[in-house]
Amino acid sequence: MKVSLNEIKKLVNIPEKMSTEELIKLIGSRLVEVEGKDDWSEKYRGILIVKVEKCEEIPDTHLHLCQINVGKKELVQVVCGAPNVRGGMFAAWVAPGAKLPADPSFTLGVRKLRGYESNGMLAAEDELGLGAGHDGIIEIDPERVGVKPGASFAEVFDLDDVILDIENKSLTHRPDCFGIIGFAREVAGILGEKFIEPKIPEIAAKKSKIKVKIEDAELCKRYECAVFEVDNTLGNEKYFSDDAVFLAKAGMRSVSEIVDATNVVMLMTGQPLHAFDYDKFVKIGGENVGVRTAKKGEKLTLLDDSEINLTENDIVITSGETAVALAGAMGGKSTEIDAETKNVMLEAATFSLYNLRKTQMDHGIFSEAITRFTKGQPKSGTEVGLRMALAKLGVSESEIQDCQVEKDEKITIKLSIKDINSLLGTDYDLGTVKQTLENVGFKTKGNLEVVTPDWRTDIHIREDIIEEVGRLLGFDNIMPTLPLRPFIGARKPELRILKTRIREILSDQLRANELLTYSFVSERLQKKVGENPENSYKIVNSISPELQRFRQSITPSLLVKARDNLKYGYNGFSLYEINQVARKNDGLDEDGVPIIREELSFLVLGDYYRAKAGAEFLLNRLGVSDYTLNAAEKSPGYFEIKHSADIATEKVIGRVGEIKRSVLRELKIDAPVAVIEIGMEKLLGALPKSEKKNLEFSKFPAVVRDITIRVSSELSYQNIFTKLNEALATKELVFSVRPLSIYQRELKMKNVSFRLTFADKNGTLTEKEIFDIMASIKNIVKREFSGEII
Amino acid sequence: MQNIEEVKEQLKNLNLEYRKIRDIAKEQRKEFGQKLNQKRKELEQRLAELVAAQESGEVEEIDLTAPSMPNKEIPEIKRGTKHPLMAELDTLLDIYSQMGFDIMEARQLDDEFHMFDSLNFPKNHPARDGYDTFRTEEGFIPPAHTSTMQYRALTKYKFRLDEVEGGGIENSAGQIAVVIPGRVFRNEDADATHEHTFYQCEGIFVSRTANFSQMLGVFKNLFSEYYAEDLNIKTQPGYFPFTEPSIELLIEKPKSLGGKGDGWLEVLGCGMIHPNVLKTAGIDPEKYKGFAWGGGIDRLVMLKYGLTDIRYFESGKLEFLEEF
Repeated sequence: MKVSLNEIKKLVNIPEKMSTEELIKLIGSRLVEVEGKDDWSEKYRGILIVKVEKCEEIPDTHLHLCQINVGKKELVQVVCGAPNVRGGMFAAWVAPGAKLPADPSFTLGVRKLRGYESNGMLAAEDELGLGAGHDGIIEIDPERVGVKPGASFAEVFDLDDVILDIENKSLTHRPDCFGIIGFAREVAGILGEKFIEPKIPEIAAKKSKIKVKIEDAELCKRYECAVFEVDNTLGNEKYFSDDAVFLAKAGMRSVSEIVDATNVVMLMTGQPLHAFDYDKFVKIGGENVGVRTAKKGEKLTLLDDSEINLTENDIVITSGETAVALAGAMGGKSTEIDAETKNVMLEAATFSLYNLRKTQMDHGIFSEAITRFTKGQPKSGTEVGLRMALAKLGVSESEIQDCQVEKDEKITIKLSIKDINSLLGTDYDLGTVKQTLENVGFKTKGNLEVVTPDWRTDIHIREDIIEEVGRLLGFDNIMPTLPLRPFIGARKPELRILKTRIREILSDQLRANELLTYSFVSERLQKKVGENPENSYKIVNSISPELQRFRQSITPSLLVKARDNLKYGYNGFSLYEINQVARKNDGLDEDGVPIIREELSFLVLGDYYRAKAGAEFLLNRLGVSDYTLNAAEKSPGYFEIKHSADIATEKVIGRVGEIKRSVLRELKIDAPVAVIEIGMEKLLGALPKSEKKNLEFSKFPAVVRDITIRVSSELSYQNIFTKLNEALATKELVFSVRPLSIYQRELKMKNVSFRLTFADKNGTLTEKEIFDIMASIKNIVKREFSGEII
Repeated sequence: MQNIEEVKEQLKNLNLEYRKIRDIAKEQRKEFGQKLNQKRKELEQRLAELVAAQESGEVEEIDLTAPSMPNKEIPEIKRGTKHPLMAELDTLLDIYSQMGFDIMEARQLDDEFHMFDSLNFPKNHPARDGYDTFRTEEGFIPPAHTSTMQYRALTKYKFRLDEVEGGGIENSAGQIAVVIPGRVFRNEDADATHEHTFYQCEGIFVSRTANFSQMLGVFKNLFSEYYAEDLNIKTQPGYFPFTEPSIELLIEKPKSLGGKGDGWLEVLGCGMIHPNVLKTAGIDPEKYKGFAWGGGIDRLVMLKYGLTDIRYFESGKLEFLEEF
C-alpha cells in the first residue's frame, strides 16, 4: 500500500523540528513496517505551468509549432504532436535540463524537429508519471489557484511529496489503516497528539424507492446506497484534476469523475464504493437490490468484459433476481457507468471477508477494493464513505437507503493499570495510558474501562488494549530485562546429540560432505528408483511436478546429487544427509498426523565393502559393537540383491549395500555407488547404555605374526575371524586379529591373510609359548575349516 | 676452517678457565668473568653455525612450494564438511542450551490444527493466506512456520509449571523454556532470496511473571552472544494471531558483518503468547504469561558468510559445500 506523507500532514500536526526521516522511523517503529519510500521532491523539478500563446500547424505533419509563455519576457518555441494542443491553453512543460518523471534516465534538451527548434516538451499524463493518458497533453484549469505562466507544476499540484510503501501484511488486522484518515489517526497517536476527526459531510437524505434484500446476515451486515442525478460523467473532464494526482500517488489511475471520486474516498476512508448506472439497473429488475450468494451455473460479465462462472461462495448484487455485480470485487458490464448515464446509484456496503477472500482466490481479482474488504471493514464505514463521496460529487441532497442487519455493540474492556504494567514490564501511570488511548479514538472511564471506537474491529480482549498502549508509547522505550531462572540445567534431546555426533564422525573423521536436499521429490524419480509414489504424501498445490511427493527416503535425492557432482568433475566424494521422511503405510500417530521418521543416508562411491567399512566405522565410533550384517532377504528396493545387508542389533536398524545397477543406469550414473541407511530412532535404541570400556593392555612386548590361511572359498570370512579370536581368547593374552588381504585365484579356494598381535599380561612370551599358540591356531584351521596355513 | 671437534675442545678448555676465578683478586673477578662469558658466547655461536652447515650438507634441496617431491604421489587431504545451516543451528542451539532452554525437534508434516487452529487463527481467516502453505491430498500441511510446534511444546512441558507450584520460588521457578528448530515450507517461487524450503527456530518462554521487557532482554542477550558483541535491538509493530502484543525484532548490524552502528537487521517475529493459545494448551492465562518467537536460520548464515543466493543451500553442489 502506498501512502502520501503530504496527505497525512494535512490531517496531523507534525512537529516542525521533526524531519521526514525521523517521522518515517517513528512510523516504522510504532505503526507498521515501511518497506520503502519514494521521494518525489526532485521528480517534478524543472516542470512549469505554461500558457500556449501561439499554435500553428506544421504543414504535412501532425505536429504543431507552439510559442509558449514560461513566465519570462521571451516566448519559448516548442514542437508538440498532441492533437489537443491549441493557443490559449495552460499546459505542463518539461523544460530543457529537466528529467522526464516517467523515465528519470531521460533528460529533456533542445533539439530540431523537421527543421524547427524545440525546447523541452509539453507533457501528457503518462509522461508525467501521473496516469495512463496519452491521447493528448494535460490541460490545466486557468482558474485554479496559483496557475500562471512559469508557476511550478509541483507546487500547484502538491507533488513535492514522499510516498511511503507500506508492508500490508502487518496491517491485516487493521482495516482502519487502509484509509488515509485511519493511518493519520495512528500517526497522531504515536506523536502523542489527539487526532481531530474529519467531519462527515451532511447530506439531506430523501426517502428512496429502493428496496434492499439481504439473503443472509453473514454475507452483508450493512448495505447503503444513494441515488442521484448527474450532468455528465465520462470523457468531459477537461482539466487535469487533483484526483488524478491523488490516485497516482496511491498507484491508481484516473478513470472518470465518478469512479475517481469513489476511489479517492476509498483511499481516504478505507471504505470501497461502487457506482451503478441506475437506469440500467432498474431496467433489469426494478428498484430491488438483492445481496445473495451466486447459484450453481450462474454467470456474470464483469466490467473488464470477462465472463466468469460464479461459484456458490461468491456474493452477488442483484437487480431483482439477476446478478449485476460481483460484490466487493468488480462491477458488472450490464450496469456500467458511461457517457449516457443520467442517474447513478452509489453503493457502500460491507461483505463477509471470508467469502470475498475465496472469491479473490477463485477469480484472481486483487483490486484495491477487495484488498480492503478482506480486512473486514467496519459497518460504520459505509456511512462515512457514502457521504464523503456524495459531497465530493457536489451532491447535497440524495435518496439514501440504509439496510443494517444488526446494530453494532460497542465493546467495553475492563483492565487495570497493573495488568498493563505487569505484561509489558513497565510502570506507566493511569493518566498517560488514558491520554494515549484517547488520542486515537478510544473512550476511557475510571481505572480502567476502555470503550473501543467503531472502526477498531481488531480489539477484543485486554491484551489488545495493552498492545495499543505499548505500541503507541513505543515498545522501544521498554527496558530489556532478563527472566530469573532456577539452577536447572537444560538437556538436549538424545536425538539432537546423536545427530551432532554423527555429523562429527562423518564430516570430521570420515571426511564426508553433509548436504541438504528438498523434502519434495518427483514421481518420476520415485519410479526410477523403484519406489511406489502412492506410498508418499502428495502435495496438491506443488510448485512443479519435480516437487510433488513428500519423500519416503533420502537416498534417491542423494543419488541425483551424486550424479550432478560427478558431472561437474568431482570424484571420490561421499555425501550424507540426516532428515525426515514419511511413508503412508506407516500410518498416523496419536495426534492423527503422519508418522515421521528421521533417517541418515550416507552415500559413497564404491562397492559394498567401501560402504560397509563406513558403516562399521560409524557404529564403532558410536559405541555400537554388538551388531550383525545379514543378507537383506526381502526385495531390498533400490539396493542390489545379494550385495546389501541389513544392519541388526536387537532389531534391524538400517541397511548397507550397493545401489542396483539398473537404478544407476536409469539415473545415468556410471560409477559404482553404495549407501548406508540408518533409522535415527532405531539407532538411538541401539546405543550402549554405558560408555564403560574394557581396557586391558600388557606391559610386555607383543608378538606380531602374519598368517595366510588357505580355505574353501565357500567359507565365510566372519566364520574364520570368529574362530581365530576364540583361539586367542585365553585369560593371559591381550590380542588383536586384523585382516590383511583376501586373495582368490581359483574358483574353489581362497587365501585369507591376517595379522595376529598378542602379548601376555604377566610376562614376555617365550619361544615355546609362541610356538604353542601358533600350533593351536594351525590346529583350528585344519579342524574347523579343513584348511591350512601357508 | 675449524672443525666441530676443535670448537668443542675449546669450549671444554674454556670451562676449565672458570675455575681460576678463585685465584683472582675480588675486584677483578667481575671483569674476568665477563671476558670468559663473552668468549663462551662466541664459541657457542660458532659451534651452532658449524653444526648447521654440516647438517645442511646432508639434506637435499627441495621446492618448498611444490605439492610433492618429483615422482611422488601428491598427498590429498579430503575436506569433510558439515552443512552450514546445520552447523549454524548447532551453534545457536548451544547458546540457547546455555541460557537454559530445552530443545525439541519440529516435524515436517503437520495438520491444520497445529499450524493454525491451536494458534488462534480464526477459521478461514485471511491471515492463513499469508503463509502460502502447501497441502497434501489428505489435507496435511508441510508446516510454513515452526510455530506449528507451539501447542506440542506447551503441552509437553506444562508439567514444568506445576512442578514447583506451592513449594517453589515464585519468581524463578515453574517455567517453560524451549526452542524448536525445524524445516519449513512456503509455496513461493525460488529466487536468490526466496526458497520454498528453509529453516526456522521457534522459542517459547512461559512463567508467572513473564513480560515484554524480559522478552526484549532474552533477544538482546541471545544475539549479543551469537555475534559475540553487545548489540542494540529495536522493534517494529507486527501482527500474528497467536501473540498479543506482537512485534518484529531488529538487531543492530554487528561489526563482524560490517555494521557501523546505522544498519538494522530483521531477525525474528515475536510477541506475548495470546491467552487463547495458552488456554488451548490447558494453561491458565490468568496465572501464566509467556512470550514466543520464531526466526529464519538461512538468513543468519547468508549474512555470516556473505552469501547472495539462498538456493545454494539445497543445491547439493560440492563446490559450495566444500567451502564450509
